[in-house]
Amino acid sequence: MSCSPFDLRDYLFDELAEENRRQVDQHVRSCGTCHEELERLRITQTTLLALREEEVPQRIGFVSDKVFEPSGVRRVWQTFWGSAPRLGFASAAMLSVALMFFTFFRQAPAVASVAAPDTLRIEAQVAARVNTAVERAVAESEARQASKTAALLAAAEQRFESQRLADMLNVEQRLTVLQKHYNVRENLMARYEPPREMK
Amino acid sequence: MIFRAVEDPDLIRKARRGDVEAYNLLISRWEKRVYNYLLRIVGDREDALDLSQDVFLKAYQNLQKLDDPARFAPWLFRIAHNEAFSSFRKRRPEGETVPQSDFAGEDIPASASPAFPIELSIAVTTALGKLHADQREAVILKIYQGFKFEEMAEILSCPVSTVKSRLYTALDVLKTQLAPAKSRGVT
Repeated sequence: MSCSPFDLRDYLFDELAEENRRQVDQHVRSCGTCHEELERLRITQTTLLALREEEVPQRIGFVSDKVFEPSGVRRVWQTFWGSAPRLGFASAAMLSVALMFFTFFRQAPAVASVAAPDTLRIEAQVAARVNTAVERAVAESEARQASKTAALLAAAEQRFESQRLADMLNVEQRLTVLQKHYNVRENLMARYEPPREMK
Repeated sequence: MIFRAVEDPDLIRKARRGDVEAYNLLISRWEKRVYNYLLRIVGDREDALDLSQDVFLKAYQNLQKLDDPARFAPWLFRIAHNEAFSSFRKRRPEGETVPQSDFAGEDIPASASPAFPIELSIAVTTALGKLHADQREAVILKIYQGFKFEEMAEILSCPVSTVKSRLYTALDVLKTQLAPAKSRGVT
């Protein structure tokens, strides 16, 4: 039974990390049991390696036969799909060709002659509809503005009239008070009139 | 001008474009390892050679499906593993698994290097023959082919923990069989 910090068989097969391997080295130097166990394992391994590999009795090889080789098209196809940059370049090239084709072979005059009247008519219709809509919107806006102004004027007149009536009422009340004061004063003057003999 | 060695991913890229010569060069680099792996799995040189050819043909046909060329080795051995066990299924009745004694080393003479005596090779062959097929394949992939645990898991299509379990169980058996035998032989 081994008392090594790590499995001696892992050490033998070089399956330990360097640090762990150093620990086993140190342990084996100081532990007779583990040293003997490791020696037995090494002897076993060396003995097993006494059975040497044999030479292959007949060389294995394949001939280049056209029947079994991939066809040229298939090889190009595999090579093409196996290279991302080449695939990207080919895609860009195809896109360029497509753009050039539509640039030079597009029937521009025919499209223009057919499209022109339609465009003008549609533009005129659109302009008319836009004008109508704008006029309607302006009229509605003006009407809304006029009604708002009228309402504001009416409210202002009403407030003015109310204020005027309040002021007049106030003045009338003050006049009434003055009149009463005056009457009181007259009465008092009349009541305390000095005798004629004293004059 | 900068020169550098042609690596497997370079050859794989060329082979994918239909370069058969590049693929043949790739085969020459791997055929010995694949053949010996299959030889130790199926136990017959002729079968191992036939299966090796099938493996490389299948690999060529499916080269476009290989996501990461740097992972060619485990991918190739995955094909080899499937081919070997597919041949077992064809040869045996349905439901019967590979028996424990069906090991390559029993039918083929042990080949030893000049540095090792023939008795040692026979002992190794016998010890490997006592392992279960799964354990033996784990030993072959690790000891003889040098794959990492993660690569072995990819080849065998199972978790790393399973791979380690198979390998370490096999190693315990082999250690019991071979370590005493080696010490007796040397002394």
